[in-house]
Amino acid sequence: MRELSLALASGEVLGLLGINGAGKSTTLAMIAGALRPDSGTIRLGGVDFLEHPELARDRLGWLPERAPLWPELTVREHLDAHGRLRGLAGAALRQARERIVERLELAPLSRRLAGALSQGQRQRLGLACALLHRPALLVLDEPANALDPVQSAALRALIREQAAAGTAVILSTHLLGEVTAACDRVAILHEGALRHDGPVDAHDHAALERRFFDIAMAGARAA
Amino acid sequence: MSTSAVMRLELRRLFVRPLGWVLAALTLAELAWRFVLLLGNFLAMQVRLAALPGAPGFTDLAGVPLLSSLLTGGFIPFGFTELALIVVPLLAMSTLAGERSQGTLPLLFGSGQSAAAIVLGKYLALMVWLLLWLALTLAMPLALAHAATLDWGKLAAAALGMVLLLAALAAVGIACSAFASHPAIAAASAILLVLALCSLQIGAQSAGVDSGLVNWLALPSHLEPLLRGLVSSADVAWFLLLAAVALALAVRRVAAEKERD
Repeated sequence: MRELSLALASGEVLGLLGINGAGKSTTLAMIAGALRPDSGTIRLGGVDFLEHPELARDRLGWLPERAPLWPELTVREHLDAHGRLRGLAGAALRQARERIVERLELAPLSRRLAGALSQGQRQRLGLACALLHRPALLVLDEPANALDPVQSAALRALIREQAAAGTAVILSTHLLGEVTAACDRVAILHEGALRHDGPVDAHDHAALERRFFDIAMAGARAA
Repeated sequence: MSTSAVMRLELRRLFVRPLGWVLAALTLAELAWRFVLLLGNFLAMQVRLAALPGAPGFTDLAGVPLLSSLLTGGFIPFGFTELALIVVPLLAMSTLAGERSQGTLPLLFGSGQSAAAIVLGKYLALMVWLLLWLALTLAMPLALAHAATLDWGKLAAAALGMVLLLAALAAVGIACSAFASHPAIAAASAILLVLALCSLQIGAQSAGVDSGLVNWLALPSHLEPLLRGLVSSADVAWFLLLAAVALALAVRRVAAEKERD
């Protein structure tokens, strides 16, 4: 990644677009603290996140692409483990788990092993783990993958709900419709660099599509 | 806090995976069979031994040999030590290589855990499992404490030797898991490494080499005195040093994981 500078306010939803290999997942992994950039800074609430990686524990929720899970643990055990990793314990952990299980309708799955979940259910569990500790920044990498239209709509509603509660959200997706439906701003990455950063007009999907294809095809023509 | 959260997660995973239960069941069955044979041997010799001054007792003939065949040679070959050389790498193989292959290692980084907390948490969880395994093994000779005369000092020294052995093997297993891309590779490399540490001395002697360094590096030369009841700080330090070096290498490797794309 290079030439990438982004700022996100609390309650804002940023859509991250780009073709495969544009650097979306790498960018999100760096923001989430799973990868260390060679240079540059990442600030969360004004504090250098690279100097204080422990900030991720309390203030950041991350759903990586394909929602990696421990297949031998149940849904409930996942939520407990993530809660403890985020510093929750006792009654606080129990309340957080019950809240998120109810919100994401995971109660019927709570005793099921993660290895036996469908892809859509895995995504929901991954999302629950990311939201369990009420993060200030929510980083979602292709969260709509494998979701049916009803689940996608529920995901969009959840994202808007989180934003309304003051959570900043970064949403990486291939789906332009997801961006116009759920995001306030869009950033387009291409070949590891930021090529566009601007507001989203929810009523002008065609403009976003033109912009995206201009950037993607310009790269292809140059090649 | 971070270390304990990682430890609890790893412990849970160890206890719900069938591998741990299968290994525990098979090895404890084998050790129980070994103990019965050793006990039978002791009972057969007991009358003759009773007449000899300073003759070996229950601890020498059944208690300590249950833990290792280092002192008893080929008689019923697989004691706790020999089984640990296989069991520990098999249990440790998935700790980090498994996380890497199923893509869950970044989740731990993403939850703000440091490399040291991840490695230490997994190491402590593995040690809990291994110490329970050792406790169940030691329960066999201890169950006869009321009926036999135990040499408590000798048994305690041997038990300390087993704890140190498990601590070192677990650290080596986790280090191999940190460097390997796949759990099977981690297990194979850890088994080869610990077998090399065990056979170094014999190999060197059969090649006509009698080096102090080779003797110092060899695992049996530090374990044998403990099994004989001789606790030396140099031997204890050797095991702790091996564990510390292996864990430090694992931490370095896991920390470097964040630098890669």
